[in-house]
Amino acid sequence: MAETLEIENVVRHPKKNKRKKKQPITWSLIKSQNQLIWMSVPLMLYIILFAYVPVWGWTMAFQNYRPGKSFSEQEWVGLKQFRFLFTDDNFLRVLRNTLAMGIINLILGFVTAIVLALLLNEIKKVFWKRTVQTISYLPHFLSWIIVTGIVATSLSINDGIVNIVLMKLHIIDEPILWLSEGKYFWGIVGASHVWKEVGWNTIIYLAAIASIDPALYEAAEIDGANRYKKMWYVTLPGIKATIVILLIMSIGHVLEAGFEVQYLLGNGLVVDWSETIDIFVLKYGLAQGNYSLATAGGIFKTVVSVTLLLMANWTAKKLGEERLL
Amino acid sequence: MGGKSKTAVKSSMILLLSLSFALAGCGGNNNNNTAANDEESQGAAATAAANTDGKIEPFNVSVFIGQAGQQPTPDNKIYKKIKEETGASFDMEFLAGDINQKLGVMIAGQDYPDLMTGNTKLTAAGAYIPLEDLIEEHAPNLKAHYEDYWNMMKDPNDGHIYILPNYGVYNGKVNSSWYSGPAFWIQKAVLKEFNYPQVKTLDQYFDLIEKYKAKYPEIDGSPTIGFEILNYDWKNWGLFNAPQHLIGHPNDGGVVVKDGVAEIFADKDYAKQYYKKLSEMNAKGLIDKETFVQNYDQYMAKLSSGTVLGMFDQHWNFNAAEDSLTTQGKIERTYVGLPLVYDESTKDYYRDLAVLNLNNGFGISVNAKDPVRIIKLLDTLIQEDWQKTFSWGIEGEDYIVENGRFMRTQEQRDNAADATWQLANKAKAMFDFLPKTEGSFSDGNSTDAAAQPEEYKAGLKPFDKEVLDAYGFDSYVDFFSEPPANPVYYPAWSIDLVEGSDAKIASTKLNELQTKFLPKAILAEPAEFDAVWNEYVGQIGKANVKAYEDKINEQIKWRIDNWSK
Repeated sequence: MAETLEIENVVRHPKKNKRKKKQPITWSLIKSQNQLIWMSVPLMLYIILFAYVPVWGWTMAFQNYRPGKSFSEQEWVGLKQFRFLFTDDNFLRVLRNTLAMGIINLILGFVTAIVLALLLNEIKKVFWKRTVQTISYLPHFLSWIIVTGIVATSLSINDGIVNIVLMKLHIIDEPILWLSEGKYFWGIVGASHVWKEVGWNTIIYLAAIASIDPALYEAAEIDGANRYKKMWYVTLPGIKATIVILLIMSIGHVLEAGFEVQYLLGNGLVVDWSETIDIFVLKYGLAQGNYSLATAGGIFKTVVSVTLLLMANWTAKKLGEERLL
Repeated sequence: MGGKSKTAVKSSMILLLSLSFALAGCGGNNNNNTAANDEESQGAAATAAANTDGKIEPFNVSVFIGQAGQQPTPDNKIYKKIKEETGASFDMEFLAGDINQKLGVMIAGQDYPDLMTGNTKLTAAGAYIPLEDLIEEHAPNLKAHYEDYWNMMKDPNDGHIYILPNYGVYNGKVNSSWYSGPAFWIQKAVLKEFNYPQVKTLDQYFDLIEKYKAKYPEIDGSPTIGFEILNYDWKNWGLFNAPQHLIGHPNDGGVVVKDGVAEIFADKDYAKQYYKKLSEMNAKGLIDKETFVQNYDQYMAKLSSGTVLGMFDQHWNFNAAEDSLTTQGKIERTYVGLPLVYDESTKDYYRDLAVLNLNNGFGISVNAKDPVRIIKLLDTLIQEDWQKTFSWGIEGEDYIVENGRFMRTQEQRDNAADATWQLANKAKAMFDFLPKTEGSFSDGNSTDAAAQPEEYKAGLKPFDKEVLDAYGFDSYVDFFSEPPANPVYYPAWSIDLVEGSDAKIASTKLNELQTKFLPKAILAEPAEFDAVWNEYVGQIGKANVKAYEDKINEQIKWRIDNWSK
């Protein structure tokens, strides 16, 4: 009997919440909160102006847009731009590259950032911790043009550090021309991303770790947990909510595999692996003055991204995890 | 290689890399515009009409310069003089970042300054005002300046003149001591090593390189690189353009024009012959392994190190590397341009007469409040005394006159080459795009200090004297045959394919295929070359090449109809 009672108690919990939510909006409520409402007005305006009004520009994707003409003078072409996009021989390849590099970046970025955060958390000497953290996040502030310059130089066969190290370790017999082989390209892009962003991505996890109640660690220690056990049973569950939210958000960005890295590191020999949707759109859209095609490409990416985001969110909900929406 | 020299090499590479970034930021693009132009000329006795309005009212012109650059110092000598004498001051905006992006923003917002450098995107967006009536009415000097080129300046799409070309109008004696165009380049040291042989054909050229590399496998401690090919982003002519020159044809871009009919040459047999040769040379290890993966900075760093024996390129594109070699005192590592052909019976046609630089220069925007004043200002600045001020500077300060000939002292020469000095004492950013006199002034002096024969001789290094004496030439330009008169349509590369057209898409496709397959073919084992080549030709067959050729032929016909005198 006592058990059922308890269960009833538990299920009543969400009900309570629901009732609270359903509180009717009355004038007196609005009046009492009018400062809050006024404070939100500029933000609402900002979002409407910069996030919703530009959606109007999507009409361009259905036109043969010519700059300098007014809206009524534009020629409407229906789905022609989309048809060009989806029927081009290259599109599937480009989509594959974008997805592959997006997913590689996502997974590598995630795993390395979390691992680094866990490891940093274990360093007790504040000086070392700070030093490692600073060194690891500094590359974030370099622009991609500089990073790709560094990457290209270190992968060079004359005096490139990567080849020198591998030769010294006797892993390879002669220098490898890394940037000439399509099969290496995704890996190079993934590694460059990790090098540039790992420190920066770690910051948020470190913050999440810092908010874990130290009493939990003490309790675990009393129960005989060693370092690894503490990491596994206390730290990781402690930042699980953060991980899931960030994962959902990044899944929405999976098609943003990047443009600069691939554009700057790519060359004729690896073009089958390096070209992303953004580069394709640049070549056949912006560089041709075909803004409509560029817009169509943008719409495609947005639709896919929103779908992925919703799917991830839905999955998280099903799994009973934190979620974004 | 000792550890020390390795570090030295590495740090110098890094230094070079950062230097080239800085340089790229400071106006590497200049080259782009000086491309076809640096040469020539024009005389200009005609433009002496006085423009005396009486009192001077100050006014401000906002200017968009479509290339990266630096603001002149506020007390710049020349801009100050312009302001004192004409009232005009310039409010210049330089390009930062990507030109297409910048233009997109400008066009979307219809946000145009008074004067803008020429660009087909802006023309297509209706950003310029037609100039022909304004010039007829208010600008007699400009009218005289462009007299012979009037029809060429008209936009093929609607017949108006929107842009005043900055280069290519020339008169008087054309002095030229610097060849800026395409050629097969070879280190002076290689020629010296083999006692200054005559090099006419591609085979002779690669023979020399092979022999030299065998004899000197290392230069200054680094491995010698036989031949370098740059194929990076839009700088792709190093790979694409050579075949047309090897059959004795001038630079028409992606097509060869015979009897007024253009066709692409990328898939022709004479192109195959060239790439096959490269493939063989690659098998012999003469071609840099990294050549197709490097970017422009790495390419420049290699040339600047003095280890590269040869390459096919346009001179203006690697000029900075030669400057660096000169600064390092490695004159023997700088390059001589050779006009190679397949066989000696073919006459080389690398050097061409300057052509009008269409789609470059200044146009007046639809937003300009007072186009008449602006055109009058431009009309004043085309006059000879102003042109002298722009190109040579102020007499006594920047140059001296001896027996009517303009000369520079060594100090003035050094100043003129100093970028910092230029910001305070030259109006370079504006002058690059202004209508200008090229060739000689009415008193016979060259419009370009570097092309003044006395100046050129005075600035020549002893090693260069030796090379030139060995061949019996006055300057390196003499390696090339005298160019014949340009065909009316010439050059086909300046034809506007029209944004977003099928022709433009086809040209992009073609470009893509070349970038992808040519390196593959060259790097393949010689036995596999034919297989890759056939696949490449097959792919070209699928691209809509006909749309591209048709557009070019249509425009060639249009030019012949409208430009013929």
